[in-house]
Amino acid sequence: MSESTPTPLEAQAALTEANTQAVQVHRVDHQLGWIVLGIAAIYLAVGALMSTLPDPRRGGPVIGSAILAVMVVGLVGLVVVFLRIRAYSRTGILLYFAGVGTFSLWNGIVVGVSIATRWLASTQPSYHFGISVVVAVIPLFVAAWLIWRR
Amino acid sequence: MSHPRHALDDLLGHPVRFSVTALLAAASKVEFSFVRDHVEVTDSMLSKQVSTLEQAGYVKVDKGFVGKRGRTWLSLTREGRRTFERHLGALREIAQSDGAGAAVRPS
Repeated sequence: MSESTPTPLEAQAALTEANTQAVQVHRVDHQLGWIVLGIAAIYLAVGALMSTLPDPRRGGPVIGSAILAVMVVGLVGLVVVFLRIRAYSRTGILLYFAGVGTFSLWNGIVVGVSIATRWLASTQPSYHFGISVVVAVIPLFVAAWLIWRR
Repeated sequence: MSHPRHALDDLLGHPVRFSVTALLAAASKVEFSFVRDHVEVTDSMLSKQVSTLEQAGYVKVDKGFVGKRGRTWLSLTREGRRTFERHLGALREIAQSDGAGAAVRPS
């Protein structure tokens, strides 16, 4: 129990301060949104490269190296951003893991359906691969939007 | 015991401790340097206040390493969160009052 009592104005000032500090944490949560978008960007870049191939099943050394470079640079970048995070809220980190988890599940479904319906068959054009990738990354964009709108 | 001041917490009456707790209340975990930068205090001042809050059971301190760099993470305990919510509730009541009886501050 407190011996001194703040005036209503002082109490209001303290509430404003509490709100200001909460906003700082929500703002830094946005970094999690950038990480989620980074994962989507890596996936989309690989999808775009695969879509340029005459036959995605026969990539060749140049395109293979390009895909590897995109993935390595992207993953290193994500790790660097992740290590630089200095604060996160419970909701922010939950949305992040929910987004990545949903993406993994949804991606598996998209790939499974694409194979089962012969959408990715060798007779199909390469851009089919890119379209599947665009559909697969939807949960990541939703997660980033949910993190940012807070 | 109906006056909202009874629900105020003495430890959180200190402005730095209040700001630190408010920042931690919005977060799951916060790095020491982030709190220092946003509450705008020195390392030693923050260490002192965090130590007080830790002894009261309001704050948990976790130390770890990223490579060779040491990092200290702060978080509110359940007790700290509960106390802060109660303190905030009392402040809200006082802020909404017309000041009669609440505006008197002992000198």
